[in-house]
Amino acid sequence: MSVAWMRISAIAKNTFREASRNRVFAVLVLFCVGMMAFSIVLGRLSVHEEVRVMMDLGLAGMDLVGVVIALFLGVNLLSKELEKKTVYAVLPKPLPRWQFVVGKFLGLSGVMAALILAMSGVLNLFVLFVGGDVTELLLRAEALVMFEMLLVIAIAMFFASFSSPYLSAMFTAGVWMIGRGSAELEALAAGKLADSPARFVIEGLLAVLPDFSLFFVSGAVVESARVSIHETFVPWLFVLSMLGYALLYSFGALAFAAALFQRRDLT
Amino acid sequence: MSVVVVKDLKKTFVKGFWRKRSVALRGASFAVEPGEIFGFLGPNGAGKTTTLKILMGLIKADGGEALMFGKPCGDPSTRRRVGYLPESPYFYDHLTANELLDMMGALYGIDAATRRARGRVLLERVGIAHAAKRPLRSYSKGMLQRAGLAQALIAEPELVVLDEPMSGLDPIGRREVRDMLADLRTKGTTVLVCTHVLADAVTLCDRVGIVVGGIVRDQGLLSELLSPQILRVDVLIRATDEQRAGLQNRFDDVEFRSTAEGTLASLPSKEPVNGFLAACIGEGSEVLQVTPHKETLESLFIRQAQEGGNS
Ligand SMILES: Nc1ncnc2c1ncn2[C@@H]1O[C@H](COP(=O)(O)OP(=O)(O)OP(=O)(O)O)[C@@H](O)[C@H]1O
Ligand SMILES: [Mg+2]
Repeated sequence: MSVAWMRISAIAKNTFREASRNRVFAVLVLFCVGMMAFSIVLGRLSVHEEVRVMMDLGLAGMDLVGVVIALFLGVNLLSKELEKKTVYAVLPKPLPRWQFVVGKFLGLSGVMAALILAMSGVLNLFVLFVGGDVTELLLRAEALVMFEMLLVIAIAMFFASFSSPYLSAMFTAGVWMIGRGSAELEALAAGKLADSPARFVIEGLLAVLPDFSLFFVSGAVVESARVSIHETFVPWLFVLSMLGYALLYSFGALAFAAALFQRRDLT
Repeated sequence: MSVVVVKDLKKTFVKGFWRKRSVALRGASFAVEPGEIFGFLGPNGAGKTTTLKILMGLIKADGGEALMFGKPCGDPSTRRRVGYLPESPYFYDHLTANELLDMMGALYGIDAATRRARGRVLLERVGIAHAAKRPLRSYSKGMLQRAGLAQALIAEPELVVLDEPMSGLDPIGRREVRDMLADLRTKGTTVLVCTHVLADAVTLCDRVGIVVGGIVRDQGLLSELLSPQILRVDVLIRATDEQRAGLQNRFDDVEFRSTAEGTLASLPSKEPVNGFLAACIGEGSEVLQVTPHKETLESLFIRQAQEGGNS
């Protein structure tokens, strides 16, 4: 085991431990479970649509709760450590700051993966309970949500490397919302705003920022085909390519985060 | 070669939207030699912690040089040889002391078996072995300070940098820390310790540097810094009012004061002491005690702080 890896995994392990002992996440997950339970009731109202409602609402709830948690985890990269002064004992160790950033990311990703797995498991049980099948399509959708969370964490860490937690959370949420609304924004830029300078701003943003809508595709049009979790969903190849997409973007965000963090005074 | 060299170090903090400036270091210089215990002393806000943070690569200086083992201080390879205890340390409070030492050891690149063995010894040594399996959340301030000391020593560093190691410790704890530092010195470890507890500095340090207002105003052996000149001599006598009046008449530059133990006579220098004692005995009064007063680290410290404040 190389020394660099020993250090990174020490940071990752500690980060995972710390976050997994945080009660807030348990509460959020319970909230998500509650939401799924509520969709049983909603399903009853729409006759014969129980499974459909359960899957749609369950995925949406998981996604939303996931983003909130990822945001929370990511923006706390440093602020909490600075506030609690823990970082003053860690960074003077012979540990280049980029290894600290990578270790944090891996630890947080581990926490996030565990949470998404747990929520997916619960969702699958609920789907079975209302008489549906846990289809492969559902698993693909859940995998996409997990990859999305990795990317949200990386972006939150990027902002947190140079700004306050509040600003970081706002920026990250902004990036996520722009990414989610990319189709609408594109249409807006091409339509109503075609003649205004705002068009270039929107197009520029969409070109640079990650397209989060690709991670939540049920009911949307992908490669000019309508996909839905209930009939024809994106293939595993697409899911895999989204993992690559998330990792690539995360790598970029973390590289910037590490470079900015390197220059920062830890006062 | 000096283990630590700080040359003309400058740092100004610029904060917030209004770019509010606060000058922490205005060109501090000092050096720590191998194997010594160097006391870095100064009043609150003098710039001690700032200097140590620059040495640890936590913040960057605006000007000047800070070297450890002859290399610029940000270098991770030199930090492998250094152990650091931050000011009022605080560690991940979900960890136990065992887990903390294990993690810090891993950051130094020490293998797992060695980490465990050293961790056990160190926790024993700093006196918190009984709480090794408890989360740090449940530790008292002094216990945290001890855990901090243990993590600073986990890599058996050649240089130990301690920011106020005595704060929060009870008298026994202070004594133990003093003994530990003395042990380190016997092993040849260099220690840079920052403190404003002067009594500790006097018993512990080989050399001291006194920083005031971001400038090192004095550094050197304690014996050299404190002027050997005798400031005044106090003579405690038991005398009747009559005898006292007689002495007062003959020595008009001596001040007399009544205390619980007798009459205290303060002589302005050591020259008249013999004559004064002879006179006392001649008058038939009893001499109880003769105390020469030299400059103490405390008076030096206060003088430096005042001069620093005025300039
Ligand atoms: N993060 C910061 N932002 C702004 N000013 C700071 C900051 N840290 C320190 N200072 C200023 O720099 C000066 C030196 O502070 P420093 O913490 O180095 O003092 P110190 O000698 O360690 O004092 P103490 O004995 O109280 O620990 C102080 O005037 C302080 O106000
Ligand atoms: Mg200080």
